[in-house]
Amino acid sequence: MSSESSKKRKPKVIRSDGAPAEGKRNRSDTEQEGKYYSEEAEVDLRDPGRDYELYKYTCQELQRLMAEIQDLKSRGGKDVAIEIEERRIQSCVHFMTLKKLNRLAHIRLKKGRDQTHEAKQKVDAYHLQLQNLLYEVMHLQKEITKCLEFKSKHEEIDLVSLEEFYKEAPPDISKAEVTMGDPHQQTLARLDWELEQRKRLAEKYRECLSNKEKILKEIEVKKEYLSSLQPRLNSIMQASLPVQEYLFMPFDQAHKQYETARHLPPPLYVLFVQATAYGQACDKTLSVAIEGSVDEAKALFKPPEDSQDDESDSDAEEEQTTRRRPTLGVQLDDKRKEMLKRHPLSVMLDLKCKDDSVLHLTFYYLMNLNIMTVKAKVTTAMELITPISAGDLLSPDSVLSCLYPGDHGKKTPNPANQYQFDKVGILTLSDYVLELGHPYLWVQKLGGLHFPKEQPQQTVIADHSLSASHMETTMKLLKTRVQSRLALHKQFASLEHGIVPVTSDCQYLFPAKVVSRLVKWVTVAHEDYMELHFTKDIVDAGLAGDTNLYYMALIERGTAKLQAAVVLNPGYSSIPPVFQLCLNWKGEKTNSNDDNIRAMEGEVNVCYKELCGPWPSHQLLTNQLQRLCVLLDVYLETESHDDSVEGPKEFPQEKMCLRLFRGPSRMKPFKYNHPQGFFSHR
Amino acid sequence: MERAVPLAVPLGQTEVFQALQRLHMTIFSQSVSPCGKFLAAGNNYGQIAIFSLSSALSSEAKEEILHFSLAHDGPVYSMVSTDRHLLSAGDGEVKAWLWAEMLKKGCKELWRRQPPYRTSLEVPEINALLLVPKENSLILAGGDCQLHTMDLETGTFTRVLRGHTDYIHCLALRERSPEVLSGGEDGAVRLWDLRTAKEVQTIEVYKHEECSRPHNGRWIGCLATDSDWMVCGGGPALTLWHLRSSTPTTIFPIRAPQKHVTFYQDLILSAGQGRCVNQWQLSGELKAQVPGSSPGLLSLSLNQQPAAPECKVLTAAGNSCRVDVFTNLGYRAFSLSF
Repeated sequence: MSSESSKKRKPKVIRSDGAPAEGKRNRSDTEQEGKYYSEEAEVDLRDPGRDYELYKYTCQELQRLMAEIQDLKSRGGKDVAIEIEERRIQSCVHFMTLKKLNRLAHIRLKKGRDQTHEAKQKVDAYHLQLQNLLYEVMHLQKEITKCLEFKSKHEEIDLVSLEEFYKEAPPDISKAEVTMGDPHQQTLARLDWELEQRKRLAEKYRECLSNKEKILKEIEVKKEYLSSLQPRLNSIMQASLPVQEYLFMPFDQAHKQYETARHLPPPLYVLFVQATAYGQACDKTLSVAIEGSVDEAKALFKPPEDSQDDESDSDAEEEQTTRRRPTLGVQLDDKRKEMLKRHPLSVMLDLKCKDDSVLHLTFYYLMNLNIMTVKAKVTTAMELITPISAGDLLSPDSVLSCLYPGDHGKKTPNPANQYQFDKVGILTLSDYVLELGHPYLWVQKLGGLHFPKEQPQQTVIADHSLSASHMETTMKLLKTRVQSRLALHKQFASLEHGIVPVTSDCQYLFPAKVVSRLVKWVTVAHEDYMELHFTKDIVDAGLAGDTNLYYMALIERGTAKLQAAVVLNPGYSSIPPVFQLCLNWKGEKTNSNDDNIRAMEGEVNVCYKELCGPWPSHQLLTNQLQRLCVLLDVYLETESHDDSVEGPKEFPQEKMCLRLFRGPSRMKPFKYNHPQGFFSHR
Repeated sequence: MERAVPLAVPLGQTEVFQALQRLHMTIFSQSVSPCGKFLAAGNNYGQIAIFSLSSALSSEAKEEILHFSLAHDGPVYSMVSTDRHLLSAGDGEVKAWLWAEMLKKGCKELWRRQPPYRTSLEVPEINALLLVPKENSLILAGGDCQLHTMDLETGTFTRVLRGHTDYIHCLALRERSPEVLSGGEDGAVRLWDLRTAKEVQTIEVYKHEECSRPHNGRWIGCLATDSDWMVCGGGPALTLWHLRSSTPTTIFPIRAPQKHVTFYQDLILSAGQGRCVNQWQLSGELKAQVPGSSPGLLSLSLNQQPAAPECKVLTAAGNSCRVDVFTNLGYRAFSLSF
C-alpha cells in the first residue's frame, strides 16, 4: 500500500510541491502520531549504504532474471512461459524496489539541499551583520578622526606668549587659579585678552586718524602762507639790485646765469655746474659763460612728458612738408641738417694760462645724436708770427687732438649714431667736424655722458660723478697742451732759422762746442713720411698714425748730411718725439746697415728722459735736436781712418773719448758725461 | 709667434716707450739650457729672457717666455751654460744663475765675480766667455785686452794672459792641445797655451793681402776652430786658416763683416751685417743664404743638447728684439720675441 501511494507521486512532483505538502504532513504527523506513512521519516531511518547494496543486488537480480528470460526465450518450450512469467513477476518486484530506492534517493537529496540552504541563509545573515558592524566601525573612526583634526578658528590667531599674557592681562580675565590647571580655560582666557587688546587698539587707530586729518589741514594752511611769501621776496630782491651793484657783489648776474642754465640740456648743464664749481674751488683762471638764445631753447625744450608728443607732432609736420618738396636730394639734406642740429645754447670755458694766453673752448650739444662737441681757439697776449712749419700746431682743428691717447675726435663716440647716420646717408661725422666741433671722449665725460663701448645708449644719462672726476685732469691736460704748443711754436720759429734754442738750464747736457749745425726744418705730410725708406720700422710698430705731425730736420757738418724724420705725437712732451736717421757720408747709412746709426736713434728715442729738462718738459724736442748734433759730431770724429785712402781725416778728433769702440757691435762713445766733459759708452 | 703691436690700440706714454725700447733692442748673446728645452737670450738693456723651445716647437704652438729684467746694469754681451748654471757677462762682471731657478720669476743670481782690472776709470766690458771643461774653468775676455781664467769651483782668478793691444772680441777653444784662440780689435788672432799660460802663435789677419779689407778696419769679430782649422772674420774677409802653417786656405766671398761663425757638420755657418745666415762649404762655395728677420745678426746658437733631440734648432739673434728659429737650416720657421 505504501508503495502504491508513493507510486502515484511522480519524482518531479515531489520536488516542487512535495515540501510544503510534506511539511504539512509532517506537522500533522507529529500531531497525530503515526497516522500516515511518511517516506521522509523512513529516509532518516534507513541507512544509505545498505540502500546502495540493495540497489546493486536488485540490479544484479534483474540482470540475472533478464538473462534467464533470455535463455528461456531462446530455448523456447512450453513450460518456459510459466517460468518466464514467474521471472517477470520477480523482475516487476525488483522494479518496484528500484523505484522505491529512487524515491528515497531523491528525498535524501532534497533534504540535503534544504539543510544546506538553511545553513547558507544563516551564514548570510551573520555576514550581513558583520558588514553592518564593520561599516559602523568605519564610520565611527572617521568621525573620530574628524573630531581630532578639527581646528577651531581660534588656533589661527597669534596669541601673545603665556608669560606675557599672565603679566599683562588684568586678573579678572586671566583668572590665574582657574586657568593654570585647565588648558581649555586658559585658552579661553587668552582669547578674551586678545579681544580686549584688539578693541583697545582699534580705539587708538581711530584717534590717530583723526589726528592726522587735523595736521594735514594745518599743513595746507601753512603752504598757502608760504606761497604768498614768494612774490614779496621777489620784490625785495628787485629793490636790492642797486645796492648789489654799488657793493660789487654780482649775485644777480650769477643768478641770471643760473637761470639761463636751467634751460641747458642735461649734459651741458652738468658741464656748466661742474666747471663753475671747479673754477670757484680750485682754479681761479677758469671762467664759465653761457651763450646762445634762451628763447629758442625755451621753445625747443618742454618738460619731458610732453616732449615725445612734440617730437611726434614735429615729425608729422616735417613729413607733410617734405612730401611737398620735389627732389629727394634736398629732402635728404634737410634730414641730415635736422639730425646734426645743435642746441641753441652753448657753454663757453676760458682757460687762462700763466703767460696770459687764453684757450677758449665752446661746447655744443647735438640733440638728436646725444653727443657733445667742442670748438677750440687759442689767443695769445701778443701777436704771434707763425713760422711756416708751425702751421698746424695751434690750428683749432688739431690743437686738442689726442689729449688722451687715441682720442682723435673724428668719430662719434655714441655707437647708436651709426644707425641714425645710415638712415640719412651720413658716412661719418668727420666730414662735419669743422663746423660742428670735435666730439672728443673727454668732452663727453665732462658732460657726464658715459658711452659704454658695446651697447648703444638709449637714454641720455648725465652723470655728475663722472664729470667731476674728469674735470681736474682734463683742465690740467688742456693747460699743459696749450703751453706746450705755444712753446713749440716759439721753438719752431727759431728752428727754421737754423738755431737750436737750448735754454740755459739744459746746457749741461751738451758739450760746449757743437760743430754740426741744423740747416733745415720743414713739415712733412703723413703720406710722404710713410714713403721714406728709413722709416719702415716706425710705421710697422704702429707709431706713425694720422693724428701725428711729421717734420724733417737736416743737420750738416762738412760733407756729411744727416736727415732726421721726426714724428711728433699730439701728446708731446709726455710722449716723446720719435726720430729716424739717414746719414749721407761715404755712402748712405741707416739703421738697417749701420749699428751706430741705430745706436744714435736709441740715444734720442729711448733715452729721452734725460733730455726732458725741468718740468714741464717743453725743451724735449730742442734738446733732442741738439743731442743729434752732438752725436753726429762724435760719429764723424771717431770714424776709424782708412789707411789705404790718401789724405788726412776730414774730421779730426776733438772730443775727449776714453775708448773709441766697445762691445761686439763696436759702438762709438755716444754718452756725454757732465761735468767731466768726456764721452763714454752706455 | 711674432708679437705685433696692434695698430688700433691707442698708444699712451708707456706703450710708446715700450715700443721704442723694442725697436732699439739688440740681442747680443744666446745660450741653450743643459736639458735643451730652454733658450736664454741677453740684450743691450741688461735683460735676460728665457724662451721655452719645447713649447714653442710643440704642436700647440704655445709661446712661453719668462722675463726677468735688469739681470745686469749694462748690456749682456756674452752667455754660456754649464750643466747646471747659466753664466752671463756684460759690463765688467760675470754672474751665475741656476737653470732650475731661472724658470721661476724673481730669480736671484747665484754669485757674481769681477776679474781684477788694471784701470778703474771705466769698467771694461766682457765680450766673450769660454768654458774649459777639462780644467773646470771659465775664460773671460773683453775690454781690458786681457784673458782672465777663473776656476769655477773656487771662484778665484788663476791666470791673466796679456798680449792683445786692443780689446778682445771673441774666444775659441782648441780642445786637443788645449789652447785658446782669441781675436781682437787689434786685428790679430792669438793662440795661448793654457798649461804654460803663454802666447804660442799670432796670426795678424790684416797683414795678409788676400783677406784684408782696409775700408772695414782690421778687427776680428768672430772665431771658430776645428783643431787644425780656424775660420775668422770681421773687418777682414771671412777666411779659413790652416793653423799649423798659419796660411789662409779659403776666402769666403762675402762683403759684409761677419760677427759670428761656427763649424757645423761639414758646413760653416756665418752671420753678420745683413739679414741672412750664410752656409758655406769648406771649399768656399756658398751653399745657402737663409734670410732672418733682423737687419743684422750678432749671435748664432745651435741646440745640440742630446737630452732634447726634438728641440734641435738653430737660433739667430741680432739687431732687433726677435730671435729667429730655424728648425731646418733651409728656412726660418718662426721668431720668438722679447
